[in-house]
Amino acid sequence: MPQKLKDKTGPAVSRVMRTPRSVTVEITARCNLRCRYCYFFNNPVVEYRDLPADEWLKFFDELGSLGVMEVILAGGEPFIREDLRLLIDGIVRNRMRFAFLSNGGLISDETATFLAGTGRCDYVQVSVDGSCAEVHDSCRGKGSFDAAIRGIRTLQRHGVGVAVRATIHRSNVHDLENIAHFLLDELGLPDFGTNAAGYMGSCRGNADDVLLNIVERKEAMATLLRLAAKYDGRISANAGPLADGRMWHRMEEARTQNAPAFNNGGHLTACGCTYSKIAVRADGVIIPCSMLAHLELGRINHDSLAEIWNNSPVLNQLRNRHTIPLSGFEFCAGCSYIPYCTGNCPGLAYALTGIVDHPSPDACLRRFLKEGGTIE
Amino acid sequence: MNQTDRPIANSIVVLREEFDDWAVLFNSDTADAVGTNPVGVAVWKLMNGKRSIEDIVSQIRKSFGDVPEAVSKEICTFVNTLADNGFVGLALESK
Repeated sequence: MPQKLKDKTGPAVSRVMRTPRSVTVEITARCNLRCRYCYFFNNPVVEYRDLPADEWLKFFDELGSLGVMEVILAGGEPFIREDLRLLIDGIVRNRMRFAFLSNGGLISDETATFLAGTGRCDYVQVSVDGSCAEVHDSCRGKGSFDAAIRGIRTLQRHGVGVAVRATIHRSNVHDLENIAHFLLDELGLPDFGTNAAGYMGSCRGNADDVLLNIVERKEAMATLLRLAAKYDGRISANAGPLADGRMWHRMEEARTQNAPAFNNGGHLTACGCTYSKIAVRADGVIIPCSMLAHLELGRINHDSLAEIWNNSPVLNQLRNRHTIPLSGFEFCAGCSYIPYCTGNCPGLAYALTGIVDHPSPDACLRRFLKEGGTIE
Repeated sequence: MNQTDRPIANSIVVLREEFDDWAVLFNSDTADAVGTNPVGVAVWKLMNGKRSIEDIVSQIRKSFGDVPEAVSKEICTFVNTLADNGFVGLALESK
């Protein structure tokens, strides 16, 4: 009768849950930094304003009644909210856990003590993009490295889980070895994740300075694959050069061996977030995901989240992307990788093509090879 | 005050009925989660501190068709597993 779950955050699912398991809440539109590649700022469709605490508390009551398990507090910089404790009390009161996406710079001893005291904080994810201030601060601003590391050490001292994310861009692609050494050997983190700056938000205006070119992308992939092997499972990625490198090696191997199609290959099967997660912008607009901030599904405390979750035509269209064959896209015409390709992130697909139901050009192996990339 | 033999669900645990027959019991204090089927869900909802295990088994037999003989043992195992993980306690005797 009972079955112990292996993964507390839940297994991959192919069907829609009755209610979301996890809700990402952009709790503020304010931030103490202005990172050059930030996906959040400079999105013309977003209204950058904060809601008062009572709006969020009412919404957290609704999440609790739906059995939501975790609230991811993002922004902006979530620790900039002066009433953060009040908001966290509302999450805890509703039998949920929480986590943060943060730049780490505003985490004090008092804050860390409070987080530890709740017993409900799964982790605080802090962005670290370099092994030293010179590299990290190049995209994130002067003083941000020291502040982030101070924040991490404060969290560690108080026993709050720390997750670090390194976003790869042109200014740190030659620092990856040092970053891994610094985070894993010097800071003593059990692991860290990587991704890459994407063509969204502020990055659109700084793309030439920030986004990796083909040569740098090759270097990042090779270096991260080597470091991931060296550090044996302690470097992870859901996106960016390491994720691409791993996926593209599998795809190339399958193609050369004429292997059967992958289970999730040949259609727009990425991503599965809309089966178990949803998000809310800082202005209270409910969206499928922070990467799809233009898809407005409703407004908190005005529209029922359960109703949106179960009946939104936009959400259901996203969930049905997996029925769209890649062979129908002119972009994919004649591609021998189709049986092994998922089309990748719909958010990045939209940012690059203006169409959500389209494969992401950024994740296209054929295009990467055509432009001079190699799979070694 | 003495404990009774009447199980009572930990009020911090959230029951999530996810899809089809699948449900999850989630302890937000520990982040532990246990998956279960509709019988487990029914058992969970019956554990209010007023019913003994025997009462619960009897109720399950009434509510579900084709209940196997072993259901009593299975429910005991289920409740014990939940108790071991802090999902369930035993009600105290009332004065």
